[in-house]
Amino acid sequence: MRSSTRYTVGLLLLVVTGFLLIGCGGASDKLENRIPSAFIFARGADAQKLDPADVDDGESVNTMAQMFEGLVGFVPGTLDVEPHLAASYEISNDGLQYTFKIREGVLFHDGTPLNAEAARFSFDRQMNPEHPAHFPTASFQYWQNLYADIQRVEIVDSMTLRLQLSRPNAALLTSLASFPVWLVSPESFNKYGDQMPFNPVGTGPYRFVEWRSNEAVLMERNPDYWREPQAGFDRLVMRSIPLNTSRLSELLAGKIHGLDGIQPSELSDLKDDPRFEIHQAPGMNVGYLAFSLLSERMQDLELRKAISMAIDRENLVDLALDGYGSVAAYPAPSSFLGIPDDEGPIRHDMVAAKAMVEEHPEWTRKAIQLATFGQPRTYFPDPSRVASLIRNDLEAIGLKVEIINREFKSHLHTTRRGEFDLGLLGWMADTPDPDNFLSTFFHSRAAIHGSATNISFYKNGEMDALLDAALAVPDLEKRKQIYKQALEVWARDLPLIPLVQGNQITVLDKRIRGYLLSPTGNHFFGPVYWEAEEQAN
Amino acid sequence: MAKTVSDSSLHKKSPLWRFLLGELRRFILIFLIASLGIFLAIEAMPEDPVSLRVKNPDPARIEEIRDTLGLNDPLPIRYVTGVRDFVTLEWGKSLISGRSVRDEISRFLPATLELAILGVCFGVTFGVTLVLVAHGTGWRWLLQPVRGLGALGLTVPIFWIGLLLILLFSVQLGITPVGGRFDFAYASPKGTGFFLIDSIISGDGEALLITIKHLLLPVVTLGLYPAAVVSGTLEARLGESYLQRLVTALRARGFSPFRIWGKHVLRLVSGPVVTVIGTQAGALLGGAVLTETVYSWPGMGRFLVDGVLNRDIFVIQHGLLLVVVLALFVVTFSDFLATRLDHQLAKKESE
Repeated sequence: MRSSTRYTVGLLLLVVTGFLLIGCGGASDKLENRIPSAFIFARGADAQKLDPADVDDGESVNTMAQMFEGLVGFVPGTLDVEPHLAASYEISNDGLQYTFKIREGVLFHDGTPLNAEAARFSFDRQMNPEHPAHFPTASFQYWQNLYADIQRVEIVDSMTLRLQLSRPNAALLTSLASFPVWLVSPESFNKYGDQMPFNPVGTGPYRFVEWRSNEAVLMERNPDYWREPQAGFDRLVMRSIPLNTSRLSELLAGKIHGLDGIQPSELSDLKDDPRFEIHQAPGMNVGYLAFSLLSERMQDLELRKAISMAIDRENLVDLALDGYGSVAAYPAPSSFLGIPDDEGPIRHDMVAAKAMVEEHPEWTRKAIQLATFGQPRTYFPDPSRVASLIRNDLEAIGLKVEIINREFKSHLHTTRRGEFDLGLLGWMADTPDPDNFLSTFFHSRAAIHGSATNISFYKNGEMDALLDAALAVPDLEKRKQIYKQALEVWARDLPLIPLVQGNQITVLDKRIRGYLLSPTGNHFFGPVYWEAEEQAN
Repeated sequence: MAKTVSDSSLHKKSPLWRFLLGELRRFILIFLIASLGIFLAIEAMPEDPVSLRVKNPDPARIEEIRDTLGLNDPLPIRYVTGVRDFVTLEWGKSLISGRSVRDEISRFLPATLELAILGVCFGVTFGVTLVLVAHGTGWRWLLQPVRGLGALGLTVPIFWIGLLLILLFSVQLGITPVGGRFDFAYASPKGTGFFLIDSIISGDGEALLITIKHLLLPVVTLGLYPAAVVSGTLEARLGESYLQRLVTALRARGFSPFRIWGKHVLRLVSGPVVTVIGTQAGALLGGAVLTETVYSWPGMGRFLVDGVLNRDIFVIQHGLLLVVVLALFVVTFSDFLATRLDHQLAKKESE
């Protein structure tokens, strides 16, 4: 009896194991060695909303970039503006009228023809609080910051749209190429109402299929796309995989074709792997160290100067960014208008900094509070490491430093109130215009307690006047000169020290072709295709 | 735990509804305390979620939005509205995504429950089978994995085990998916939100296979902890002398080992096992969160953690209250079940 039971149990175990193995067997190598019909890309977080007018997170923008387009857009791989959904545009000599000739024959994904009326919808709903699509809980923050100079949106004829400005704004054309004014089908609002942000309808190379929240946004080829190249895949899937290790495993297992949001330190394994290609380029970001001028001791310009000389920024790039970035010489990337491509005014000089500290023994009495945060950002892949490297540098010249590490939102809450001595933070540009950095950092109107982006609370009438003047001058040379002056004022007063510019990193399967990193930091997968097989197998 | 056990024994002789009424009273009390606690915690949060959501906030617009959402009302009003909203299932919208919190939860909760229930079922079955088979067959070597399992399931982080399984089965062998709940080339099963049930109901064999493949690794990972706890408890129980005597007696009557261990002993030890599962519900939930992270599982864990990180008030409020209610259900139900099983035990012993 006993032995028969043994036998039965043993047999049972065997059968179960067998079933498990068979069940697992069929899945292998689905993506290998054939042209996939779907391009699957993974990032660390899901999109928040797919409404161009009410998002500011990169994941939403990166998803929308496949489905939406603006009147004007960027030439792929550059920051030059070219006509997209407008066939041409004209700017009046006084800089107050922007006239767009709408492209003929373009259809939104729902079949709505594009005309001036349809284009106006995307502007009207942002500027007019009475508009039914001006959703009550949407922030429309970009209208306030980038487009507020647009006074009226006029329909000249059925295919001509004119923007009437209240004052000239030299940054506007670049802003118009940016995501907040990508055109949304007005019919989609009639159909979906306040659910419009979850049912995106644009004109882009891919159209929306399904959104599996916290999993993936599924898109398919838009067969009626208005220009070449057409979409390279039948389907495009933008997955969200929060854990970096899991995202990497998906890539190594061949389940996805590309990813981003990876830490420089995690790239070492991929670098030598012939299956993948690492695309990297300077991103439109600056990671900086701000002095809160609300803190009494930080109002001492000499102390700020000593600190700026003590910090070894090359070292930060090497150790905190693993070389995937560069020193930020100025508070805006050097590819921007009027930002010189040189080493900038801040010199690393430990000896001089130490001498200054020795002259001021009162500086060393109390520890300086250095506020930092936990979550990685493009500009600081490891903010805590940046903070400890800075502490090392400052302790080397004799200052005492206390690091205060908070979770990102708490940190943001603190810095927006200026409650720190030294604060680490960064800015990722919305539009490639120097104003987007300089006014954000230095204009007094951005120094509002609780919602400040000028977290130094630097208020200087001279700076404000220069920044305002630079926007009102349409002439590029003159604008450059004004920004040069503004940078001189910054270097004199030193309310913040730009530290690093982090690279944007995208890893793709080697067989993916046609991808160009955009300096805007957004992915445009429309032209991406799968390399044809050399020999037919 | 000792208190609730003695409580239950007091109820033993009262009718079922008395027991349920007592449980209900306890339930409502705990719910009110928990909801107040959650509200005060949200109140104590210094950050304003509405302005932190945007990169470049405009103070006037932020105030408008706060008014629209009722965030500027006094605390008592917000508390009462909050509890009322929770009870009437009006859970508002996420401040971040603008999606209805109820719709989101009705997507994520089935995903988590499917994983958690299967994980517990697998863990318990695995742990109990291993121990009983080891004792029943006399294959003492089977007890080695039980002890190993204890060390593995209790001390090694789920994170690490999960990643190890992914590296082995998905990256090296390529036989399981790395993560996610379903393939993106297929339309996912619709209906209850439990993909196993949905694909069986619709009779879609392909979908069922995909679902199972995606479930395999997460379920095993999540099941290790309950397997370790249950097999440990069981081992300890089986050492007790009255059981030893019972086994000897049953064997003397000529019963087969299968009948002795699979029927009589299992019935005797199931009470404590159920209690252990009930009291470990919290730990299981924690394990589910980690498992969800490793396997990119679109469940409640990630939803709530993101909610807290983003200070997404309505997600935190209603999501946490729902978790409290669910945990209460699990504990109450397992208590109830254990009492019933103990009842039988008591009857058996008096015979």
